[in-house]
Amino acid sequence: MVQQLKEVDVVVIGVGMVGSILAKELAAAGYKVVGLERGSTRFTVPEFQSPGIHDELRFDVRKALMQDNTREPVTFRNTSSQTGLPIRRWESFLPGTGLGGSMVHWNGQTYRFQANDFELATRTRERYGQGFLDPDVTIQDWGVTYDELEPHYDRFEYLLGTSGKAGNLKGQIQPGGDPHESPRSREYPTPPQKEHYSGALFRKAASSLGYHPFPQPSSNLSQPYTNPEGLKMNTCVFCGFCERYACEHYAKSTPQTFILPVLLANPNFELRTGCQVQRINLDSTKKRATGVTYIDNAGREFEQPAALVITCLFAINNIRMLLLSGIGKPYDPATGKGVVGRNYAYQTMSTVASFFDEDVIVNPFMASGASGTLINDFAGDNFDHSGLGFIGGAFIGAVNTNGRPIQYHPTPPGTPAWGKGWKDAVLKHYNHTIMFSLHGSSVSQRQNYADLDPTYKDAWGQPLLRITFDFPKNDLKMAEYVTARGAEIGKAMGAKQVAGNPRKAPYTTQQYQTTHNTGGTVMGNDPGTSVVNRYLQSWDVPNVFVIGASAYPQNASWNPTGTLGALTYWVADALKNKYLKNPGRLVSP
Amino acid sequence: MKYVLLLLLGAGVATAATPPPEAAACQACHGARGEGVVDGDKPRLAGQSAHYLDKQLQDFASGARDNAIMSAIARALNTQTRSKLAAYYAALPVPAALAVPTSLAVPTSLEHTTATAAQAGRGHQLAIEGAEGKRVQACNNCHGPEGSGVALSAPALAGQLAAYLAAQLKSFQQGSRKNDAGSLMRSVASQLDEADITAVASYYASIPSSH
Repeated sequence: MVQQLKEVDVVVIGVGMVGSILAKELAAAGYKVVGLERGSTRFTVPEFQSPGIHDELRFDVRKALMQDNTREPVTFRNTSSQTGLPIRRWESFLPGTGLGGSMVHWNGQTYRFQANDFELATRTRERYGQGFLDPDVTIQDWGVTYDELEPHYDRFEYLLGTSGKAGNLKGQIQPGGDPHESPRSREYPTPPQKEHYSGALFRKAASSLGYHPFPQPSSNLSQPYTNPEGLKMNTCVFCGFCERYACEHYAKSTPQTFILPVLLANPNFELRTGCQVQRINLDSTKKRATGVTYIDNAGREFEQPAALVITCLFAINNIRMLLLSGIGKPYDPATGKGVVGRNYAYQTMSTVASFFDEDVIVNPFMASGASGTLINDFAGDNFDHSGLGFIGGAFIGAVNTNGRPIQYHPTPPGTPAWGKGWKDAVLKHYNHTIMFSLHGSSVSQRQNYADLDPTYKDAWGQPLLRITFDFPKNDLKMAEYVTARGAEIGKAMGAKQVAGNPRKAPYTTQQYQTTHNTGGTVMGNDPGTSVVNRYLQSWDVPNVFVIGASAYPQNASWNPTGTLGALTYWVADALKNKYLKNPGRLVSP
Repeated sequence: MKYVLLLLLGAGVATAATPPPEAAACQACHGARGEGVVDGDKPRLAGQSAHYLDKQLQDFASGARDNAIMSAIARALNTQTRSKLAAYYAALPVPAALAVPTSLAVPTSLEHTTATAAQAGRGHQLAIEGAEGKRVQACNNCHGPEGSGVALSAPALAGQLAAYLAAQLKSFQQGSRKNDAGSLMRSVASQLDEADITAVASYYASIPSSH
């Protein structure tokens, strides 16, 4: 029997980064907000404390903070001609669960995209001409510009206390920062983190080649910081347990540190955990949402009516929520028609390993998740792509996030994969190797998409999401090109041996790459090629907003979180100042 | 087994360690064997990490840590002597008077303190778990299991004198001590109240050093 609950103003599905920021904004504006979180509550104390939180087997190998894929996996296949199978063990990407969402286990790498990224289709056509791209590539403009998002980027960075060095302040290039960045209105809230030795070697080598190294923007803070919400955060201690772990020190910016205490103290907000939302309910016209249906941990089913429904799940779960609810037309790759699930994209990650003699001591275990040094000279459209046959690029950097004993053991090519030879090589190279991350963009293309799996269901009997993806030719060419540039920097550092590892097809879910899944509920100005408008409002059901990296029409050369934070405040403004004063379409189709 | 090993190590160190002549300046306040002065604010030095002691002497000398008596003494020593003294005190065995085994569960009676059971419980909680309401993380995150210290980064707290620990927390709180990397201790201490400081200082004083 379904229990009917009293109507509220707003239901937020998923209380992670987006959900907690938006809920706080709306509750503070006087609206009654209910947050539905499928996982548990968890806080810095006691859940994230040592020594329990530094358990590499539990958190790194067994993925304790991730979505429970014994109950709710995702199926995957490379092409439409294959049969998708459930991912039984997360490896390639790691969607989180629980209060605070995936941000609890992030690395804190906090970038902005560049102005060019938001108008990628237009600017690519303008610079390289019609027909430059593979006809299967389906990149498009976002419907929002960098200048519109800048104040929201700024607000998000000041919420987090991000540590960095500006490279472009209102058009003035700043020494020590990234000269390629789009103009920012003010300096980062806190100075960069300390540079580790591998970063210093990288900086010297990159400078000697004429590139422009800068410190990685980090939301593992370089000094104590009190944010505009009045919450105090601490200095990061470089413990080397960021990504896949929660921070024990109140030093990594997560909803637990930057917003939840304020949100949870507001009587207009109610948090309900252990609530698995089954669908957004629609009225008979299918043009208005009436609320959501969820099942709690005791198996009881509830219907929560609401005037406004905001889905702020991890990207791929946003796609699934719309498909399960019948909101928006599902994408069909055969015809190219339909929008939900269209333009699923990822990130094209390559690496360069530089092996040194034993007198170069790297101490990889002294690290934060974002204390690298890097260049943007080969990211985005910061270099001329004429004649290269691809668009996009990668940041290249000595981004040493950890030296944890189970998972970190760099060895040169040709090393045996096990046994004494492998052990000897690990001993020899562990403390004398510098790994570069080449964080590549990802174009959307016609064949890559997500839909509901025809066979497999979750623990509640609902179809799983199915991802169909392989690396586009464009991105494989890009990976080859930027990896060659990275290897040149490795040689300039004086490494004895440099091993470039450009990303190759086929894409596999069995090797960790990055948790930067994007697209599927894309934003834009044309309802024929987007699920939501420029305010992330559903074209089809205007009292549903869909917020996540699922809104990105394609993925850029940087980590997506900073841009998602900017979009979150952009939507919060539109809700408070436009939509809630006069509910209805914010943009005419 | 562990005790036997400690005894053997302790005995070995004790016979090897002859006080350098400059240690005379330390002994007046810190005790003949670096055991500290109970109920005073002169800390135990015996068994503390050499790296930590050396850095404190350098900081007293440079003025990074402010204490009229210690600054004068440290300035009178050259860097080699400071390091030598640090190594000497680090190698000294923890005084037996302090090394009383205490239950690792919530202690109900504390050596050298007048802490109540409630205070002891609070101190134990701050040490191993922290306090979410105050946004204070567990002390042991950095100071090691049972506050045993982490050689190159954080001093041992176990078996340290309660009055000294409390005085240092207050001085971090007021900002008169500021030689902590990244303001880490100033951040933590600023979140604690008087009762918390008494509780956590008493708790660590009650733990036998594992040196």
